[in-house]
Amino acid sequence: MKNSDQLPTRLIIQRVVLAVFTFLLLLILVNQNLRANFLSGSGIASGALIVAVAIGIVLTYRGSGVVNFSNGAIAMYAAYVFAVLRSQGDLFLPPLPNPLSLLEAPVNFFSSGSPLDLPDIPTKISFGDTLGLFPALTITLLFCILLGLALHFLIFKPLRHAPPLTKVVASVGIFLLLQAIVVRRFAATPRPVKPIFRKSPIDLPFGINFSKDQLIVSVLVVIFTFALWALFRFTRFGLATRAAAENEKGAIILGFSPEFLSGINWVLSTVLTGLLGILVASINTAVDPATIPALIVPALTAALVGNFSSFGLTALAGFLLGMQSQLMVYLGVTQSWFPRSGGSAFPGMDKVVPLLVIVLVLYIRGDSLPIRGGVTSGRLPFSPYPSKAAVRLWGPSLIVATAVFGLFLATPSFRLGLTNSLIGVMICLSAVVLTGFVGQISLSQMAFAGISGFLLSKLATEHGVPFPIAPLLGALVAMFMGVLVALPALRVRGVNLAIVTLAFGVAVEAAVFKNSSVNGGLARAIVVPPKVFDSSRVTDYKFLGITIGDGLQPNPMTILLCLIVTSLMCYLVVNLRRSGSGRRMLATRNNERAAAAVAVNVAYTKIMAFGLSAFIAGLAGAISSYRFGSATPEYFTYTQSLVFFAFAYLGGISSVTGAIAGGVLVSGGLGFTFLENILHVPSEFTLILGGLGLITTAILNPEGLAGGWSSRLNKVTARFSHDKEKEIVS
Amino acid sequence: MTLFETSSMSVAFGGLRAVDNVDIAVEKGKLVGLIGPNGAGKTTFIDGVTGFVPTTGRIMLDGKDISSSPAHRRAAAGLGRTWQSLELFDDLTIEENLQVAAENQTLATFIADAFLPLRSRDHSGVQFALDVLGISNLRGRMPNELSQGQRKLVSAARALAGRPKLLCMDEPAAGLDTQESQQLGLRLRDIIDAGITILLVDHDMGLVLNVCDYIYVIEFGHKIAEGTPSQIKKDPAVIKAYLGSASQESSE
Repeated sequence: MKNSDQLPTRLIIQRVVLAVFTFLLLLILVNQNLRANFLSGSGIASGALIVAVAIGIVLTYRGSGVVNFSNGAIAMYAAYVFAVLRSQGDLFLPPLPNPLSLLEAPVNFFSSGSPLDLPDIPTKISFGDTLGLFPALTITLLFCILLGLALHFLIFKPLRHAPPLTKVVASVGIFLLLQAIVVRRFAATPRPVKPIFRKSPIDLPFGINFSKDQLIVSVLVVIFTFALWALFRFTRFGLATRAAAENEKGAIILGFSPEFLSGINWVLSTVLTGLLGILVASINTAVDPATIPALIVPALTAALVGNFSSFGLTALAGFLLGMQSQLMVYLGVTQSWFPRSGGSAFPGMDKVVPLLVIVLVLYIRGDSLPIRGGVTSGRLPFSPYPSKAAVRLWGPSLIVATAVFGLFLATPSFRLGLTNSLIGVMICLSAVVLTGFVGQISLSQMAFAGISGFLLSKLATEHGVPFPIAPLLGALVAMFMGVLVALPALRVRGVNLAIVTLAFGVAVEAAVFKNSSVNGGLARAIVVPPKVFDSSRVTDYKFLGITIGDGLQPNPMTILLCLIVTSLMCYLVVNLRRSGSGRRMLATRNNERAAAAVAVNVAYTKIMAFGLSAFIAGLAGAISSYRFGSATPEYFTYTQSLVFFAFAYLGGISSVTGAIAGGVLVSGGLGFTFLENILHVPSEFTLILGGLGLITTAILNPEGLAGGWSSRLNKVTARFSHDKEKEIVS
Repeated sequence: MTLFETSSMSVAFGGLRAVDNVDIAVEKGKLVGLIGPNGAGKTTFIDGVTGFVPTTGRIMLDGKDISSSPAHRRAAAGLGRTWQSLELFDDLTIEENLQVAAENQTLATFIADAFLPLRSRDHSGVQFALDVLGISNLRGRMPNELSQGQRKLVSAARALAGRPKLLCMDEPAAGLDTQESQQLGLRLRDIIDAGITILLVDHDMGLVLNVCDYIYVIEFGHKIAEGTPSQIKKDPAVIKAYLGSASQESSE
């Protein structure tokens, strides 16, 4: 920790970065073509959309200390509420299955009369006819107030003393839940929205062309930014919020309830975000479940530049980020120096820019978020030491049982569910190593999986690398990327790391996985599995008089491949927890300073964890590509990373048992196969239940499902053993 | 023989020099005290010595200059420390807490750990530390199940498990009553008898004067006195530092 000369170095870097930035800006403004594309109406408007989401994030953070990953999803949800009110006059409600409908199947199984069909919970409040602009707007904003209150009272107030990780988890849960509700109700296709303002063109000086709605939204965003700045700068309310952010105790002594302040700020933020979401949808003349939520990455980048406290800096950064994306498109088309692949411009460069900005900002600033003066601090779920029985008896029994079930007993749909679960276990395991053992949040596990999956396709299909070597090479390269990501992570902690990894996942997805020279375009990135494991093969296998296979897809032998690799990885991680390296990881997670004081090399420990985690994810990516017969960009999206992180946390983030539970729960896994095939719950509820489960787990049972069981069990056994010990001592 | 030495060591926070050109030397096998009133810079001194805040000047341990090493290297070189707030690893048992300190770490151990987690490792440091402090009965317990006094012992044991050459103890007597403080003194002598040198930082005059072989006194980041306990008791600068403010207050 010798950093006596670090301050000047950092200052120099700061100046260099600022100088390069100014130079680039000047260069852009001097050249007429560049200027026209940089200062375009659509560029500025897309900046305004980023700012709209970003200032809501800053507001929530200042008000309650939560970095809200779901702010984009909230904007999207409000836009849907508005759009449906306008076009149908309905206020739609989250589609929840009637819990009693679980009884339908068993009842119908036994009774021979007319099938039992219980009514579903109502899914809308109808206002009769389509609504006009102002009634629809009012109802939507009222809805936003309710949503803000719900977020505060139901989720973040109970979580106010939870560790930052739990808050991130809850906000990711909200993200997934809101998105899932909308997908369930309206499918993923865009829904048209009647524009609020006309799209008549307006010419401004300096050759900037706006359409009227773009200009209005941009101006509104600027006004909101100023208003928020003034609110926090000049009013008693703003002063109190600032005081509470500095020191909750201090605010209490001064007679302010931090809870009240944070509630008000939540409502303010959802209303503002909702309003801007409506305007965004109006500009785009359509709304879909993916576009607005995806603004979260540039918005978080902007908020980070503003250090989660400055509305002005955040807005400036947001506008610039929006404007650069237009410029990147232009540069890609026209400039010969622009990086190219397969003849056309390298895609997704506008997504790489936020990543670079985040890494630079964090590098220059070095430290994590401004620390909020909370009264208590929480900690991560407990990571139990695997018992001898679990390692020697339960583990092998489970493997044998899974093999018997998968090879001989399972119907095709359960075989499919089982492979999904086994691969899910691996992805969850990769989160256990990194988040559970070392306390580092990574929201880009599917990016590592994808890197390995696509590399496998290149190696195996184009270069003929044989089966066990190619996936191992893919996983090793993923591991190398993991180590690379770990390098900034050495200086970055907690929520900031979650942001970096999210941006990394988005950048890799946009620049690599969606690159047609990587994903093979229409021909797809083919991965040919070894014949025995080919999931589309329907040949039966006869072995010592035993027949495996029932002439149906998927091939049961695919399960064997997944099971072998997953079991190996499970034992690798169990071993890690039982060994010195695992103890050092947990020590690092507990207290980095104390760990360093007993000679633990904290940086090294983190790099190891990142490497191993990415390796496991990479292996999962390779195996899943074998199973699908190709590597597909849709499987490795950043949303998938969020979903898997959710299920890993839901299962229990800090133990192998938790990873197994998470794997059972993943979408398309065993748990949902059971729900769907035996209890006949429609599959669209998967993600809704996942998001809802994630939020409730974060609040009620932060140790995850597996942790919850084992800690209850431990309490019982501990009571007995303590009594004995006390007798001996006394 | 001098085991540990700082020469003109300083710690600056912005314009404030929390530790200003402090020279101390610790003889091998001795119990050396560093005392000073509240805010004198004692904890900052330990943080500087052990590598947790940037310092200028030279820090020598066993003939090697460690002033440019990061914290974990200093610890590996034989510089152990305890924390005023203990900082135990709450997710690990007492034994595991000590094992973390007793084991070394290489790429080879990481790979071996993945396949042979329970192969025999040198954990003699763990038993040594548990024996010296007489807490073998606590090995399977979790930190949050222990009393504050037991936690203090565990915190010292964890530092000892790494078999340090020099153990820096930050305010071990904080929160203890007079009797407990005396018992702590006896434990410290046990540690010395086990062959480990101690630098004891505390503001409890009674404890330090009773158990230490040699004492340094700092105030506002400056060293104001050094000597044996009997010399320190008589030193006018020390009396002024400890009583001066009190006598001024009473005269007002």
